[in-house]
Amino acid sequence: MNHRRTAIAALSAAVAATTFGLGAPAHAAAPKAGSRCTPKQVGTTQGAVTCVKEGNKRFWKAAAAATTAPPAAAATAAATPAAGTGSKDPIKLGIALGQTGATTANLAQDQTIGVKLAEAFFNAKGGINGRKLELVIQDTGSDEAGAIAAFNTLINSSKVVGIVGPTLSQQAFSADPIAERAKVPVLAPSNTAKGVPQIGDYIARVSAGVASYAGNAIKYAARIRPLSKAAVFFAQDDAFSRSETAVFQDAVKANGIELLTPQSFNVADTDFTTQTAFVQSNKPDLVVISGLAPAGNLVKQLRDLGFGGVIVGGNGLNVVQTFSVCKQQCDGLIVAQAYSPELPDDGINVEFRKAFSAQQKREPGQIAAQAFTAVQVFVDALTQIDKDGKLNGSVEQIRQDLNKQILAGKYDTPLGEVSFDKEGEILQKTFYVAQIKMIRGEASDIFSGKFTYVKF
Amino acid sequence: MRRGRRQTPLLSPAVRSGPFVASFLHLATTGPVSLTALLQNLLNGLAIGSIYALFALGYTLVFSILRIINFAHGAVFTVGAYLTYALMGKPFGGGDYVFSNSRLPFALNFWVAMLVSAVLTGLLNVGLERLAFRPLRKRGSDTLLTLVSSLGVSIMLSNLIQNVVGADPLPAPEPIKNLKPAVTIGGATIQSVRIIVFVVAVIVMIGLWYLLNRTRTGKALKAISEDATTANLLGISTDRLIMVTFGLCGFVAAIAGTMVSVNFGISGPYMGANFGLIGLAVIILGGLGDIPGAVLAGFVIGIAQAIVGAYKIPLLSTVFPTAAKDAIPFLLLFLVLMFRPQGLLGRTAVQKV
Repeated sequence: MNHRRTAIAALSAAVAATTFGLGAPAHAAAPKAGSRCTPKQVGTTQGAVTCVKEGNKRFWKAAAAATTAPPAAAATAAATPAAGTGSKDPIKLGIALGQTGATTANLAQDQTIGVKLAEAFFNAKGGINGRKLELVIQDTGSDEAGAIAAFNTLINSSKVVGIVGPTLSQQAFSADPIAERAKVPVLAPSNTAKGVPQIGDYIARVSAGVASYAGNAIKYAARIRPLSKAAVFFAQDDAFSRSETAVFQDAVKANGIELLTPQSFNVADTDFTTQTAFVQSNKPDLVVISGLAPAGNLVKQLRDLGFGGVIVGGNGLNVVQTFSVCKQQCDGLIVAQAYSPELPDDGINVEFRKAFSAQQKREPGQIAAQAFTAVQVFVDALTQIDKDGKLNGSVEQIRQDLNKQILAGKYDTPLGEVSFDKEGEILQKTFYVAQIKMIRGEASDIFSGKFTYVKF
Repeated sequence: MRRGRRQTPLLSPAVRSGPFVASFLHLATTGPVSLTALLQNLLNGLAIGSIYALFALGYTLVFSILRIINFAHGAVFTVGAYLTYALMGKPFGGGDYVFSNSRLPFALNFWVAMLVSAVLTGLLNVGLERLAFRPLRKRGSDTLLTLVSSLGVSIMLSNLIQNVVGADPLPAPEPIKNLKPAVTIGGATIQSVRIIVFVVAVIVMIGLWYLLNRTRTGKALKAISEDATTANLLGISTDRLIMVTFGLCGFVAAIAGTMVSVNFGISGPYMGANFGLIGLAVIILGGLGDIPGAVLAGFVIGIAQAIVGAYKIPLLSTVFPTAAKDAIPFLLLFLVLMFRPQGLLGRTAVQKV
C-alpha cells in the first residue's frame, strides 16, 4: 500500500512538473557558494559551484570559468540538442497524419505512402547536401485532440525542424496555433478549407484552397449539358466540406442554375435515403456533393435509383478510393482536381508517378502527390538554407530560417511549379477537371476506375 | 430484497407499440405526401431498420445475461464484414500493411463466405469473452470494468484490422450476380440489395427467436437472464451459456456486418462505430435486454429516419434540414427515457421485499 502511495505521489509530482513546466530547475536548486556539501558530493558541480574539500571542510566553491560565460550563450547552447550542429545527424521532419479514425484513415494511408516515397526518393538523391532526412511520424487520429497531442510531441520531444500535417482542416484549426506559437513551420498537405494559411506566419499549405478550383467543375458540367436546377449536399461536420460547398453554391448561381436549399449529411454517413428522397421529390438535373470517400455511396444510391442528371463531386471524392464505394455507378462523376498524374511535364512528376505505380500497382492520386510535394518543399528549402550555412544553428533558429526559405522559394513538384504567397497560400499554375471512367467487367475489383482529364 | 417482473402484460406488444407507429405515420402524412413516396420510405426504413435490429440484438443478448453493454460488438461486426469480403477472394486496398494489394488464394460463393465468416466471427467472440470478460467476471469485478475492457477490445480490433488490411474502403460484395440495381414495388423504387438485406435480417431474427424460445439452450439463457444464481443452482452452467451467447452474438454480428457491406460497401476498419451509437439508441428504446423490444426499436428508428428527411414535417424540417436523420434516434431515445424508461415493450419492474 505504501509503495502504491509513493508511486502515486511520484507520478503526481511528475505530472505537475510537466504541466507547469518545472522540469530540471538547475539554477533554483544550485547551492550557494560557501555552503557545506556532503562527502558524496565532493568533486561534483551544480550550476556555477563545485563541491571541494579543503582541509577538514567540504563546501561549494564558485567555479571561475563557469561564471564568465555570458548567460545568453549558455541559453543557446542548452537549446540546441536535436538539430545536431555541424554533424551528419539526420534532419528530423515531423509528420502528423490521421492514420487511425473513421474519417481520416484512408486519406492518411495515401499520405503516408506519399511522404515515405518522398523520404526514400530524396535520401537516394543524397538527402540534404549529404545529410539524411528522417521522418518522425505521429498518428493524430481523426479528431482535434489527437492532432494537438501529435504536434506537441513532435515539437517538444522529437524537436523536428518542421511538420507536414494534419490531414483535416478541422484538425488544422486546433493544432496549427501550437506550431505557430512554437515558431515551427507547418506545411498542410490536404487542408483546403478557407483560412488555414491565415492561422499564422508559420502555416502554409501545398493543397490549394477550394476557391481556386471547385468552380471549374461546375463550369464544365454546365457546358456539357444545359442545367437548370441543382441540389447541393455537404458533410456538415467537416470544415473542408462546409468551406467547399460555399464555393460550389456560388459557382452554381454564377452559372445561372437554380440552387435548391442546400442539404447536409454527416461525414461518415453511408446511408443516404433522406438525400435520395430529396432528389426524387425535387428533380434537380445537377447534384453537387462535398464530402469524403463514403459520400461515394450517395452517388451510387442516386444512380441505382435512376437519377440521370450530372453529378459533381468535391475534392473529397477526388481519390481512387471512391471507385470502391460507388463502383460502376461512379462512371461519369465530374471532379475538380489540383493534381493529375498525366501532367504534361517531364519533371519530377514522371519519377514520382513511376515510383508510386511500382510500389502500389496503381496511379497516384492528388492526396499522395500533395503529401510528396510537402516533403519535397521542406527538402528543397532545407537544402537551400544549408547552402547558406544556416543549418548549423539551434533547432529554434533553423525552424525560423526554414520558414522564411519555404515562403521565398520556387519548387518544381509533382503538382507542377509551385510557390507561396506571403500568407503561405500555395500559388499553383494548373488545375484540372476529370471525369471518372470505370473499367467494365471489373466491377468487383478495387481501383478499377480512371480519372480522365477534360478541358474546361 | 428481490426484483421481480409482472408476468402478464395487459396488452400484446403489437397493440402497445401501436400509438408509436401511428404517430410516425401521422407525422409522415402531414407533408405533401404521395402514397408511392410513403411506401418507398417505408421500404427503405424497413431495410435499414432490419440492420439496426440485427446489430442491436448482439448488444441486447449480452446485456440480458451480463448486464453490460459490450462496446466491442461494433468491431466484431466489422470483422465479420471483412471476413466475408476476404473469403470471397476479393482484393484488399493499398498501403503498407500485411495484406495490402493481395487476396486469398481461393474464392467462395457469397452465401458460403457469409456463413463461414459468421462461424469464424462467432469463435472470435467466444475467444474475446475468454480473454477480456471472463477473467474480470471470475474476479467479481465491477461491471464498469467489464465495460472499459470491452471498449479496449473494440479499439484494439479496429486497429488490428487496419494493420492487417489497411484503411481503404472496399467495394460492396454482390450477393447475386448481375442484379438489377433497383426494383419497383407498387410504384416505389428501391435498391434491390435492400430487399436482400431485409429478407436475410428477418430470416436471422426468426432463427434467433426460435433458438431462444423453442430450444433448451434458449430457455436456459432466459433463465440466466432472469436470475443467474438460481439458474446456476438448478444446474445450468453459466460459463458455458455465456460462451454460447457470445458465439451467437458474433454469428449474428457477422451477418449484420456483411449485410451492411452489401448495402454500403465496407467503409473502413471503423465502420462499426456509427452503428454502435445507433445500436445503443435502439436497445435503450427497446428496453435494455428486451429482445422483441430491440427488434421493434430497430424498425421504428429505421423508418423514422427514412421518413424525417423526406417530408416537410412542421417545425422539425425548419429546425433541422436532412441532417435531422441523425438526430432522430436520439430524439426518440430522449422521449422514451422521459415517458417510458422501461423501453417500448418494457414492463415496469416491481420491487418485492
